[in-house]
Amino acid sequence: MEIFIQQILNGLSIASVITLIAVGVTLIFGLTGIINFAHGEFLMVGSIVTWLAVSNGWGFPLALCAAVVVVAVMGFALERGLFRFTLDLPTNGFIVSLGLIVVLQHIVILFWNANQKSIPHPLTKVWEVGGVRIAAVRAMVIIVTALVVTLTFFVITRSRYGRALRASVEDRDTAALMGIPVRRYITGVFVFGSALAGLGGALLIALFPITPFTGGTIVMKGFAVALIGGLGNLTGAVAAGLILGIVEGFSAGYGLSQWTDAYSFALMILVLLIRPQGLFGGTSGPRIT
Amino acid sequence: MAVGVNKAALLAFGLGALATPALADDTGNTVKIGVVAAESGSFVSAGHTLPAGVSLAVKEINDAGGVKVGDKTYKIELVKRDDRTDIGTAVAATQELVRDVGVKAIFGSESHDFTLAMTKITQPAKVLHFAGNSTLDTILTDASVAPGGADHYLFQTEPREFQRSGSTARGVLSLLQPMVDHPIKKSVIIAGNDATGQFLSSYYIKALKAEGQEVPDIIFYPPDTTDFSPILTRAKSLNPDVVHFWYNGDSTLTALPQAVELGVAPSYFLFGVDPGIWKERSLSADVPVAMSCVPVCWGESSNPKAKAYFQSYFAAGAPKGVTSSVSLLYYDYVHVLAEAWTKAGSFDPDKVVDALMTLHHKGVVSDDLSFNAHHQVTHATEVCAAKPGGDITCSMQQPPADAPM
Repeated sequence: MEIFIQQILNGLSIASVITLIAVGVTLIFGLTGIINFAHGEFLMVGSIVTWLAVSNGWGFPLALCAAVVVVAVMGFALERGLFRFTLDLPTNGFIVSLGLIVVLQHIVILFWNANQKSIPHPLTKVWEVGGVRIAAVRAMVIIVTALVVTLTFFVITRSRYGRALRASVEDRDTAALMGIPVRRYITGVFVFGSALAGLGGALLIALFPITPFTGGTIVMKGFAVALIGGLGNLTGAVAAGLILGIVEGFSAGYGLSQWTDAYSFALMILVLLIRPQGLFGGTSGPRIT
Repeated sequence: MAVGVNKAALLAFGLGALATPALADDTGNTVKIGVVAAESGSFVSAGHTLPAGVSLAVKEINDAGGVKVGDKTYKIELVKRDDRTDIGTAVAATQELVRDVGVKAIFGSESHDFTLAMTKITQPAKVLHFAGNSTLDTILTDASVAPGGADHYLFQTEPREFQRSGSTARGVLSLLQPMVDHPIKKSVIIAGNDATGQFLSSYYIKALKAEGQEVPDIIFYPPDTTDFSPILTRAKSLNPDVVHFWYNGDSTLTALPQAVELGVAPSYFLFGVDPGIWKERSLSADVPVAMSCVPVCWGESSNPKAKAYFQSYFAAGAPKGVTSSVSLLYYDYVHVLAEAWTKAGSFDPDKVVDALMTLHHKGVVSDDLSFNAHHQVTHATEVCAAKPGGDITCSMQQPPADAPM
């Protein structure tokens, strides 16, 4: 039994990072219509910023904040400099994001080479409860993710800003006529989604080493989760992230471990065949419940 | 139109004139050799050792005046190509080195399946090819290495896999046993699921069984895995006495701290991790950890020649890597090749192969490096073990004479 519980706990920590990515993807797509495949590279940049900061003697909490801020600023610059020109041509935006993957990877390789990078675990304590081991660093990742996602949920569902945001997705022109600054909101959502990727990157490098190519695998899973949950659906992204993390943990633990990624994407294909709108129903805008 | 053609002819003539001095220099005073290695990508820790080891040997030979072939002395020019741990890039780089650069010999790559693909280019072109891949054992046969055979110009600079796996398994168990308070009976192997991992682990499981181990499972993981916790938890459920992390040094070092966190086993073995890295990174575990080097350790060696070699190697700018010792599967053989050229008195590949087959070289790895009838070397492997928070013990393990049944 303790092995079973251990596998669930194992899955939760990586599921947390994937959920952060999926929430970013689903918010950006659902609220702005931008399909940003370079979102994984945003995460990778967040990891690199964390690594640089920690390597230069910064504490992990400060490094994490730096990662969030740097990637948010990068998101702002890229939305204003690139994606805003493709808002009416989503396919062009998609191609731009693919190009951005290569550009960002090569910038990182140029300055900091392609080797693996890691930081010392910010928390080293390991608790043992009934034969189940819980690493403090993994618990930290799960708790931070839960807090951030909960906060995001409440901002989108309960705040005036969130309501205005959803109104602009329903009908951009009417929302603009009602005085909602739609353009600014789109930028704001892109920046917030980017900040989530920066946070995910900081949390990821706290757990595992990263390379300039780490973003590719993670973003694929992030999109898989967003699709399984239903694109644009925040609740769906969280639930699907947890499902995928646990499926991965169980597939490696009880099935053919070398097929871990294949299980994730097989699940995505199955869900999309049975429920094309995703498990929780996808929309072109946010559906919270 | 005529004017256009004339301009083109003049341009071609001009470019040809520019190229002529380099061509003359190439055929006159230098001989080119190539290296194809993973200087980036997932296998970089092993890959970057090739150009570093070969470069050091080339520098030593050139500083000593060059290589004498017949009546002339030549400097060696090394042309390096990064395969980016990508088989297509490795094949393209080999094509370029053979067809365009005109190298006389190629060293690499360190990825087993890559080398097998590269031989399809080097061998028909009669380019001497040296690679430390034990997978070459599957193609180096009496017929293939014979004159006119498919792999006559191919040389394996690492012992056969049953030898390397056999010496490693024996060393790991004999070093760990005194550090563990109960008999070591059950081993679980965790290996990367690629061609190299599948090939190597198939031999290692036989070697462990030959040492009396029960091996309930080999758990494979996708090569770029960083979260090992699910498969480590699976390994833990099998109650192993030793978990053997086999074979990628970088992955191994990612997996070990997670294994220690989860308390998977009372001892571990890290294939291809040098005790030097263990000390440099101040790694520790609350249980004994064995390590093996391919073939001799740089951090703590019982080989008397290793210290001087690694001093020169790192002084030349090579980074202290997990598997820096892999460079020795290449360094010695540049000297062997130079000796063979001198002995043959020619760059004629057939004459050089004949010379290589009769050479006995005093190298770092062994005082008597020579190729057997299948173009393969045999030498010992070094295995070390770190006590919990304590000393590291190393010993050279001689290879078994025969493969386990």
